[in-house]
Order: sequence, then C-alpha cells, then structure tokens
Amino acid sequence: MKEKKKKKILIADDEDNIRFLYKEELEDEGYDVCLASDAEETLAMAREERPDLVTLDIKMPGMDGLELLGILKKENNDVPVILCSAYGSYKQDFRVWSSDAYVVKSADLKELKSTIKEILVSSGK
Amino acid sequence: MLDQKLSLEILKATARIASSTPHLDQILSQIIDVVKNKMNIDACSIFLIDDAEKVSLKAFSGYGVDETANLSLNMGQGITGWVARHKNTLALREAMQDPRFVFIPNMEEEQFQSMLSVPILREEQCIGVANVHTRDKRYFSPVEILVLETIADQVAGCISNALVYAKNQMMIKELSILYDVSLGAQSTLNPELGLWVILSGITRGEAGGFNRAILFTVEDGELIGTMGLGPDSPEDAQRIWTELDGEGKEYQIAQKMISEEEKDEYSKSNFNKFAKTLRYPLKENDNVLAEAALKRKIVHVENCAGHPLVSDEFCQTFGVDSFAAVPLTAHDEVLGVIFTDNRYNAKPITQTSLHLLARFAAHAGWVLENSRLISRLVATNRELLSMKDRLIETEKLSALGRLSAEVAHEIKNPIVSIGGFARRLKDKFMENHEASQNRQEEESALNYANIIFEETQKLERLLKDILTYPKTGDLNLEICNPDQLIQESLDAFKTLLLGQDVKIETHIQKDLSPALIDPIKIKQVINNILSNALESMPRGGKIKVSVYLVDSDKDEEQSFLTIHIEDSGGGIPDQALDNIFNPFFTTKKTGTGLGLSICRKIVENHGGTLRVENFKNKGVGVFILLPLKNSRDCTKKEHPSDGRPEIFFDEQT
Ligand SMILES: Nc1ncnc2c1ncn2[C@@H]1O[C@H](COP(=O)(O)OP(=O)(O)OP(=O)(O)O)[C@@H](O)[C@H]1O
Ligand SMILES: [Mg+2]
Repeated sequence: MKEKKKKKILIADDEDNIRFLYKEELEDEGYDVCLASDAEETLAMAREERPDLVTLDIKMPGMDGLELLGILKKENNDVPVILCSAYGSYKQDFRVWSSDAYVVKSADLKELKSTIKEILVSSGK
Repeated sequence: MLDQKLSLEILKATARIASSTPHLDQILSQIIDVVKNKMNIDACSIFLIDDAEKVSLKAFSGYGVDETANLSLNMGQGITGWVARHKNTLALREAMQDPRFVFIPNMEEEQFQSMLSVPILREEQCIGVANVHTRDKRYFSPVEILVLETIADQVAGCISNALVYAKNQMMIKELSILYDVSLGAQSTLNPELGLWVILSGITRGEAGGFNRAILFTVEDGELIGTMGLGPDSPEDAQRIWTELDGEGKEYQIAQKMISEEEKDEYSKSNFNKFAKTLRYPLKENDNVLAEAALKRKIVHVENCAGHPLVSDEFCQTFGVDSFAAVPLTAHDEVLGVIFTDNRYNAKPITQTSLHLLARFAAHAGWVLENSRLISRLVATNRELLSMKDRLIETEKLSALGRLSAEVAHEIKNPIVSIGGFARRLKDKFMENHEASQNRQEEESALNYANIIFEETQKLERLLKDILTYPKTGDLNLEICNPDQLIQESLDAFKTLLLGQDVKIETHIQKDLSPALIDPIKIKQVINNILSNALESMPRGGKIKVSVYLVDSDKDEEQSFLTIHIEDSGGGIPDQALDNIFNPFFTTKKTGTGLGLSICRKIVENHGGTLRVENFKNKGVGVFILLPLKNSRDCTKKEHPSDGRPEIFFDEQT
C-alpha cells in the first residue's frame, strides 16, 4: 500500500486574516494548504496545484464567488468545492446547489473541518 | 223677529269668525255665541257627523248639559237625527208634539217649545246639524231660516277648512318629524343617537304623542329590549308635560336635535333600564311582539284581557291594557319591533297615530340597518388599520434587514478572524500549559483569550440572527416528512442539552402526511423555541414536544400540522408578555430578542400561526401551526428524486 499523501486544500478568500486563520487551522489538521485572494488567482491555482478540495468565499472582489464556482466546476467537475460565506441567505440561490457543501463562516472552525473531512472521505480521495 | 239689517249683521259676524282662525272648536263656539245673542233665541247647538255615522254634539249654549258631556245620536234618531238623515230643514213651533221628537237624557230639550233645525251640507253630504231653540212658542220666519241655513253653510266651509288645515298640520308635523329623524339618523354616525331621535319622535310633543316607546331588536332568535323612552312614573310624566308646555304648544321638533347629554339622560333613565331587561322569544304564536315581527304587521291591542297572545304577565310587566307594536324591517328582513303605549294619560291609540308610528318604524328600520352597515365598516376599517400598522412594521423591519445585512457582512469577517485567533491563542496556551513555569500569568492570558472568543461567539450569533431575519415570502418550499424534520431538529438540539438536567419527551403522531414547507426555516423555528425553553430552565426541567394534525374549524379541507412545545421553566413574567414578539426585546443577558419575532415571521410566511400560551409559575406552551392544504395543491412542484433540481449553467458566461 502506498503511503497516504497529504491532501491539498485551496483556500480562496479575499480577507488576508481569514486566509491566514484557515491556513493555520487546516495545516494543524494535517492538510497541505495553498491560498488565493481573488478569482483569477483561484483559477490559476486550481489548474496548477490540482487541489483535492477548494473552499471558496462567496463574496470576492472581481468575480462573484458563485460565478467562479460555475467556472471551476466546468473546468474540473471532480474537484469538491465548499462555499463559505458570512451569512446563510445564499442557500436559496440555486447555483449554490452545484457546490458540495455550504458553510457559514465562524470563528469556530469545527463545522468547516468536519465538512472537509466528510467530503474527502465520500469523494474517495 | 229678525229684520234684514240684523240678519246681515249676524252673517257678517259669523263670516268674520269663520275666517279668523283655523281651529274648528273655537269657530263653533264663537258662532253659537253670536247666533244665540243676536237671533234672540234661548239655546243653540251644533252637531257633527263622524265616520261612524254618529251625530255628536260639538258646541252648544243655553242647555242644561254638562260641559263635558259626550252626547251623540244615531242617524235618524230624534229631530236632529231626522234632519241629518233627510238633509232637510225643520222649523217646529211645537217641537215636543212632533212625532219625530225623542227624549234625550241630559239635554233638557223639554224646556224649549220651538225648534229650528238645519242640516250642515257639504258636497251634497250632510256633515252635521245646527239647532236653535226658544222657550216661547215661535214661528221661525223665512228670514230666520235662511240666516241659519247660511250660517250652516259657513260652518260647512269652516269644517272643510279645518279638516284641510288639520290634515296640513298633521302632514307638516309628520314631515318635520320625519325630517328630524332622517337628519338625526344621517348627521350622526352614531346609530344609537339616531334611534333615540326616532323614539323621541314617537313620544315627544305633538309628534307621535305616545307616552312611552321601547325598541326591541332581533338577536339570535330573540327580541331583546334595546332602549326605552318614557317617563319613569306618573309624576315624572307630569313634570315632562309641564316642561313641554313651557316650550310652547307648537313644539318645533324639527329644530331640535338630540344632544349627547340628552342621550345620556335618556339612557340613564329607569325606564330605559327597565326596557333593557326585557326579552321575548321570536317564535310564532308565542307573544304579540313576535307576532308583529314575524307577520310584519302593526298589532294594536285595545284590551289585553282575552287577547290570545298577551299573557297576564305581559300586561303586568308593562302595566297597560292597550298598546301597539310595529315591526322594524329593512330589505325584507325583520330587525326588531317598537312597542308603544299611553300608560300615563290613557289616551286611546288612534289610526292616525298608528300610521305615524309605522313611518317612524320604517325609519328606525333603516337606522338599524345603517348601524349594522356602519359597524361592519368600522370593523373592516379597524382591520385595515391594524394591517397597515403591521405592513409598516414589516416595511421597517425589512429596511432594517437590508441595512444590517450590509453592515453585518462587513463586520462578520473581522469577527471571524478575531475570534478564530483568540481561540487559537487559547488552544496554544492550553497545550503548553502543563509544561510552563509561568502558570499564573498564563492562566490569566488564557482567560483573556477565552473572553475574546466567547464575546465574538456572541457577536456572531447576533449577526446570524440579523442576517437571517426573514424577508417576506422568502421561502424555499419542499415536500417534507414532518416526522423526519422533527427528528433532525431534535438531534441537532440535543448537543445543547449536554450537561444540563433537562429531559425531552416527544409524542409524534404516526403517519403524518408530507407537508410543503421550507425545512431549513422550520428547523430554525423549532430550534429557537427549544432554545427559549432550555434557557428558561437553568436549573433543569422537562420539555415536551408533541406533533399532530388538527383540522381547521373553518374549512374541512384544511388541516394544520401542529408542533406543540411545552417547558417547565416558570412562564413569562406579566410585564414581558406583551413584548415577546417585538424584535430586540429580550430579558436575557446574551439574547438578541429576535428569536420569537423571526419564528412568527417564518410561520406566518408559511400561512400558519404561532401561538404562545403562558402558564404563570409553570411554564410556556408554544403552538406552531402550519397549514397542510398547500402540500396537496403543490405536489406537482415536487423536485427530482434527490430533492434538488438539476443545475444548468449558461454556456455564454
Ligand atoms: N419558554 C419561555 N419561557 C420563559 N420566557 C420566555 C420563553 N420564551 C420566550 N420567553 C421570553 O421572551 C423573550 C423573547 O424571546 P426571544 O426568543 O424573542 O428572544 P431571546 O430568547 O431573548 O433572544 P434570542 O432568541 O434572540 O437569543 C425572552 O427574552 C424571554 O423573556
Ligand atoms: Mg430565544
């Protein structure tokens, strides 16, 4: 059996401190983490780094996170995407449904971490 | 003997009298005086014939008759009666010898020898008789006969005038009263005032002239005494009549509107209080009032005793033998009855007054109908106003929602990172804690980090509530299995129960049909209510959750999914009870006060209702009622099997 490789997670968020927080937390959890701060960077990183999972802030300057989600999914439908947002009202937007999960941002990252774990397990990666 | 000059004088005098006043009684007695004095005779009388063909003594002078005597003859009876029937003048030198003479008691005609009797004719009809008598035997000369006949003609003219006048007066009175009534009824939006105007029209002054009137209205198959107007006692009656006399006989009701004070006085009267105690079943063959109402006719009872529909008790209650009842109708519907009588002056109830009564009743019917319409209007108006208030509130809240959503979003990210790093700090300290030498210092630093983290958690909760404050109609409906929905809500909630001495008991009805609801929102509601319950029992207790179907009492097709959540937390204090649904009202240190207002909003957006039952010192029961009818109507809208519609992205973007 091959030694288990570290899973790579791409964090896309325009807030520096949030990105940093997520990075610290997820690295502690044993993931490889790469970061992107806007839509273009996110697409570039997704192509280059081939992450196992993407967390995507719905509200980013330049391109709407939901639009970005559409493009990401079109380029590579296999990569799971978790939408993160400051509030829950986006749940009504049908485009959200093509994401694999939807997490409301919180200082407590328990929900995010357990969601990531679940998705990675179920996507068999 | 009468010479021509004198006869002309007499005729001139009587003609002047005839045109001086419209009042017949005055005219007749003045004419009699002139005739008696100037014609050199001893007695003079005038009889008039009424509708019943009675020849009644109206005015006289020189007889022994008592002033108040009510003397009347039949047609053909005695000499006067013969003249009336045959329309012929009789001049009798020896009246008592005449075969037509009949002895009339009280008249004392015996003392007179001669008599001249002429018919009073109008349009070929005999409407009365004028008589003169002399003690001495006398031949009446043709001039005398002619003079009396001419006077009879004048009297006939006067009678016509008087009748027309009386009729006019009556009509003016009626019109002015009816005018007053319509005015009273129209110029006030207060129907009660309108009805008082009508009752006072029936009872006051020269108008209806009845002593008392009571209005009964139909309510639930009964005639209920609603208001009564009349003196409380004979003394009271006397007082009122003297007062009215003081105001002048030609009482101008039309200019007299009833004021609020008068209305108050009326409603405080004992008679009104008495009227309000009365109630009679609106049943056929039960009582006269019901009879008048159901048959829609005026009932005039002249003698209570022996009337099949008037019980002794009824008579005693009202204390009269004779009364009238008229129905009140509008649009062919019976609204009530007016009872009226002449208890204090015992005046007989005439046809004319019954007619007038009927007209009042017609007006009263419309006033009642108006009042019904008005009260319906007022109710609708009130409903509209409260709806407007709620709309404004909704408007405010949604404006607040929009504004705060923007602000909250900007605040959210900083809070997340502050809280996140505070937590990490805390975790870091914890890790190194055991090994550290500076335990005390680190302990307090750990505490600080903890406070920062907890405070940010609080802020996050507030933001979440504000951000999820439901906008109108903002629902994402799905067909859900209520059983599963409740279970999921309870499972999510159970984590909060850890370490608390709170038990949850659930009763879920089996085979609940699926409901079309927004599951996320309803879970939010359940969670909020459960949280309130939990927060009300810091020292432990019991929460009972029951789920069942309730049929609507209005609509058979409609049933409600009812989620009933009870706690044993001691209930809501009185001073808080009115405010619990107000956004931002809270009695808790850490509450935002949005919980219940959000819940109600969500439930109402579903077309349901949220009700709170407060049991002081025991606990609170919250009912969430969600209509189920929709789910049947909407089955077609069901999503594909996994509950999500397929997603298509626009290729062009
Ligand atoms: N089950 C209950 N028992 C006692 N009091 C209650 C209960 N439910 C509500 N209340 C009272 O009603 C108030 C308003 O409740 P609401 O849920 O709207 O706000 P909150 O619970 O104070 O704050 P939030 O729910 O936003 O955290 C509460 O502060 C409390 O005083
Ligand atoms: Mg609450």
